[in-house]
Amino acid sequence: MTESEEPRIGVFVCHCGHNIAGTVDVERVAKVAATFPHVVFSTDEMFMCSDSGQQLIRDKIKEHGLNRVVVASCSPRMHEPTFRRVVEEGGLNRYLYEQVNLREHVSWCHMHEPEAATEKAIDLVRMSVARAARLESIPVKTVQVTPRALVVGGGIAGLRAALDIADRGFEVVLVEKRPQLGGHVIHWTHMFPADRSGREVVSPMIDEVMDHDLITVYTDSKVTALDGYIGNFDITIKSNKTGEEHKVKVGAVIVATGFEPFKPIGYYAYEDSPDIMTLAELQEMPPSDELLRPSDGKPAKKLAFIGCVGSREPGVKGHEHCSRYCCSAVAKAASDLKDRVDEVVVLYQDVRTYGRGHEEIHRLAREKRVIFSKYNPDERPEVWVKRGKITMRWRDVLADDLLEFKPDILVLASAMVPPEDVEEIAKIFSLTRSSDGFFNPEHIKLAPLTTHTAGIMIAGVAQAAKNASETVVDASGAAAKAAALLARGEVEIESTVASVNPDVCSSCHTCITACPYGAMSIDESHDPPVAHVTEAKCHGCGTCAAGCPSGAITMLHSTDDQILSMVEALLMPAQMSGGEAR
Amino acid sequence: MVDTNNDALKSILVVGGGVAGMQAALDAANQGYRVYLVEKNPSIGGRMAALDKTFPTLDCSACILTPRLSEVARHPNIELLTYSEVEHVQGTLGDMRVRVRRKARFVDETKCSGCGDCARECPVEVPNEFDEGLGFRKAIYVMFPQSTPNVYTIDSSACIRCKRCVRVCERGAIDLDMQDSTVELHVGVIILSTGYRLFDVRKYPRYGYGRYPNVITAMEFERLINAAGPTNGHLIRLTDGAVPKRIAFIQCVGARDVKKGVPNCSRVCCMYGVKNAVMAREHDPDAEVSVYYADIRAFGKGFEEFYEMARSRFGVNFVKGRVGEIIEDPETQNLRFEVEDTLSGRILNVEHDLVVLCPGLQPADDLHRLAEMLGLRTSEDGYVEIRDALTAPLETDHPGVLVCGCADGPKDIPDSVTAGSAAAMRATILLSSGGAK
Amino acid sequence: MTEAAQETKTTSEDWEPKIVAFCCNWCSYAGADLAGTSRIQYPPNARIIRVNCTGRIDPEFILAALDMGADGVLVSGCHPGDCHYTSGNLKMRARWALIKRAVEQAGIDPRRIRLQWASASEAQIFADGVTLLTEQVRKLGPLRGQWR
Repeated sequence: MTESEEPRIGVFVCHCGHNIAGTVDVERVAKVAATFPHVVFSTDEMFMCSDSGQQLIRDKIKEHGLNRVVVASCSPRMHEPTFRRVVEEGGLNRYLYEQVNLREHVSWCHMHEPEAATEKAIDLVRMSVARAARLESIPVKTVQVTPRALVVGGGIAGLRAALDIADRGFEVVLVEKRPQLGGHVIHWTHMFPADRSGREVVSPMIDEVMDHDLITVYTDSKVTALDGYIGNFDITIKSNKTGEEHKVKVGAVIVATGFEPFKPIGYYAYEDSPDIMTLAELQEMPPSDELLRPSDGKPAKKLAFIGCVGSREPGVKGHEHCSRYCCSAVAKAASDLKDRVDEVVVLYQDVRTYGRGHEEIHRLAREKRVIFSKYNPDERPEVWVKRGKITMRWRDVLADDLLEFKPDILVLASAMVPPEDVEEIAKIFSLTRSSDGFFNPEHIKLAPLTTHTAGIMIAGVAQAAKNASETVVDASGAAAKAAALLARGEVEIESTVASVNPDVCSSCHTCITACPYGAMSIDESHDPPVAHVTEAKCHGCGTCAAGCPSGAITMLHSTDDQILSMVEALLMPAQMSGGEAR
Repeated sequence: MVDTNNDALKSILVVGGGVAGMQAALDAANQGYRVYLVEKNPSIGGRMAALDKTFPTLDCSACILTPRLSEVARHPNIELLTYSEVEHVQGTLGDMRVRVRRKARFVDETKCSGCGDCARECPVEVPNEFDEGLGFRKAIYVMFPQSTPNVYTIDSSACIRCKRCVRVCERGAIDLDMQDSTVELHVGVIILSTGYRLFDVRKYPRYGYGRYPNVITAMEFERLINAAGPTNGHLIRLTDGAVPKRIAFIQCVGARDVKKGVPNCSRVCCMYGVKNAVMAREHDPDAEVSVYYADIRAFGKGFEEFYEMARSRFGVNFVKGRVGEIIEDPETQNLRFEVEDTLSGRILNVEHDLVVLCPGLQPADDLHRLAEMLGLRTSEDGYVEIRDALTAPLETDHPGVLVCGCADGPKDIPDSVTAGSAAAMRATILLSSGGAK
Repeated sequence: MTEAAQETKTTSEDWEPKIVAFCCNWCSYAGADLAGTSRIQYPPNARIIRVNCTGRIDPEFILAALDMGADGVLVSGCHPGDCHYTSGNLKMRARWALIKRAVEQAGIDPRRIRLQWASASEAQIFADGVTLLTEQVRKLGPLRGQWR
């Protein structure tokens, strides 16, 4: 449509059987609609969504040279996509279509007031006709996708994700901040539920990654900058050692930056004896037939575990969450090590061996006479070290007894917490964090792997504390999201986006704080600097337009003019102008 | 050796249209693969469609699910085969012949507009299984308002063939002579996402379910508090319509119990129990709400925080202890039981006017048959055995069959969705490398 | 002139309150859809204008509607925390105090405007909100002539 073209609107009023026509006088609505400004054709029809109804629209567009179409039928949430497709087939831009909801919002909820319902229907059609006259075509934008993915983090999640994307046939750039791949898992001498060392699990994956033609690995390196948007990210990778920078273009990103085992400084005399260690430190002890006490290298005979160290602490920032993996890991370690020592005691709050097979491990540990004792979080166990000897005292909740135990080794099941550079990572990839300190997914229920930044996925513990088997499933899932983007080759970006009039913008930054997606920025290259929309990041909520004090922001397809024209058409029908031809 | 010119290498069959299956279908279809999504019910959506709110955000379940339903229905690469069952499978990775039986729904899917005229006219009312039998539906029905496809189905076992629906349907969509039909599919990979069924709480006679009407299941509770449910969201007792003031939730009914054949934890009951307890308090802030549990397993993202909120902000009372026999007061139909509060060591004698049993999960009824047909190993509790938890967590003994959702064990919604995505990834890798990997 | 003084001479027989309702696409518009699907009956006085998000609603829109003769304005969005666009409804909530004050300063009873949260499943809450505002405005009488 050309800019000066006069609106020629067609109105189609649907009976929907008697669903609408049973209450609303649809013939009258169509007749009255014919008198509205710019309406050149108006009719009623039994089922607009039927094949014959759709054909009618296409025919009338041709016959009457319609350049706007209004269908008054059911909720646009149901059939707007259908009719947008129909007008496109008729040669019009999809944004020149407008729908009136006469079924859900009129006939079905005012069934006993046919006259008032018909009046309401006429009002709604008049409002939509006014809006339709002001609709403008908006090009549907698609951008090319660079067929390459970035995976950040070379732990078990990053390795799995990189392999999956590469095995699917796409290039992958894998960046790991440490000098070696393999994350935490490679250091663990035993894992649950499998009776294997972490190295046995991870080493073949590392070999595959290193040998893969489609994977480029940067170890001892960090991503220092990310620019661009979905399908077209510009990444800067910097070597920790040399400071050398590499620029890479990628279409999708998977953040698999994992966790850090919480160092329980100040908890249970952790610093007072080398024989008090975290679960991660126990898992990293060199394998041997006997469990050796670090302080003197003598075989340990008594072993104790304390659960929830730095986890499940309400009110302590970053430690309110359950770390998920520890209960089963403790049960497994206790059960295994019971074969090598005389006594094992596990102090817990709740036993959360939720996974398949984990309950059996817990039962096996009990059968082997591992002692499980529940402590009260409000009355935590006391631990002290005297002349190198560890003593622990606690109240067993179930027996209500004060108990004492002198273990040779005390293992603290410490929390999974975000790595120290999490804030930096969040900033680079525009990710938000939840109360556990890990990254927020797009939706906690139905979109756990994608984020609010289109094209950026999260996998593994970067998203929340979890165990290694759950992490690899995450990784494959996130890889699927990336692969879909790369396989399509192009991505449609939201066309109904905000747009800035640089002549009016006062550069007040209101829109920048209003935008939930970081789509607004200041274009410093403009003189004077003004607000700028990164269209690929804009989701079209229009919060910026409502907030702009200068009226410099236009929300496409939801302009002030379009909205106010509906208000005007409702309240001042006599003055209804039908919009200026632009 | 696989024929690389084979159409099957571009096609995937997903069995089960719940959240896991829908996600697997979408993530494979978005990579350009043709996906057949077979669902035995008249609509996709699975169990999530029947839930009221979801933990830990208290999001309305139907609201977040509905866009997903239409995304699946609209997807050009997904073919929905609802009200259908897989009958026979032959072949292996990259080349599988599948016979699907499409049950007659007696309504032409291409003609029905979902207007509901037929159901209003239909004189037959039967208990609505979607409402756990608490409400009624007609013999011609949609499962729930957002059913996808939005097409009516005639329940032939209830239909009296009065033909009133045929006469009233303005589109002539109803065909009472419709027969079951079969379609043959040629696919490269099959993804099983068959979901779960809830443990039959009658197997614990001491809780009195079935004998005492004020002992209900958590799923019945979901429907009672759901605005689209049989009571329009009013939480009432089934005996007298009274608003319950002392509500008990009993956890682990058919989970972590070796004797009942459910040795494992069901992973979701703690959190849905906590969520329902919160909802009970939200519906009636004066109600006393107690949860009787073994361990509270709030292990997922945001779960512990939600549990803490239930205790501190919503004032839900948590009691660690196994509940004994439930006795109904014949006059008030209130329920009394003893429970040892293991934290204090005291025996409590409590009375509630509504008791909600929180059943564990078991594999879907169909899974056994499918597993046998495909030669998959299952565990003693009936779930499909995966090949390796760390290196092949979605793979089964059959090289062309993957599992996700609750087919290999109980999972909550985010874990099911994640597994669905992961299964799509593994499937497309298998097919893109010509079935070689 | 105060509204109370007006109240006595307002309720003529054929006058019906005219209400403009701004609903966000993702929650309240869908809630209104469900009200229809569930056949919940409520007064036919409100005319819904669909916006993507309540965050899109410029305070100007509400004032303009009252200026052009709306007797009441309803704004209905997702519950705080449920916004499809993360936080647009929070922006609306933050603006609401300002809008209320502006309305009061214009001499309009703030009971003529209503901000509510109704999710896509809360059809009854949506319908109740429309009913409540309609009845409230009915008691206050027509706005025309009371203002300016």
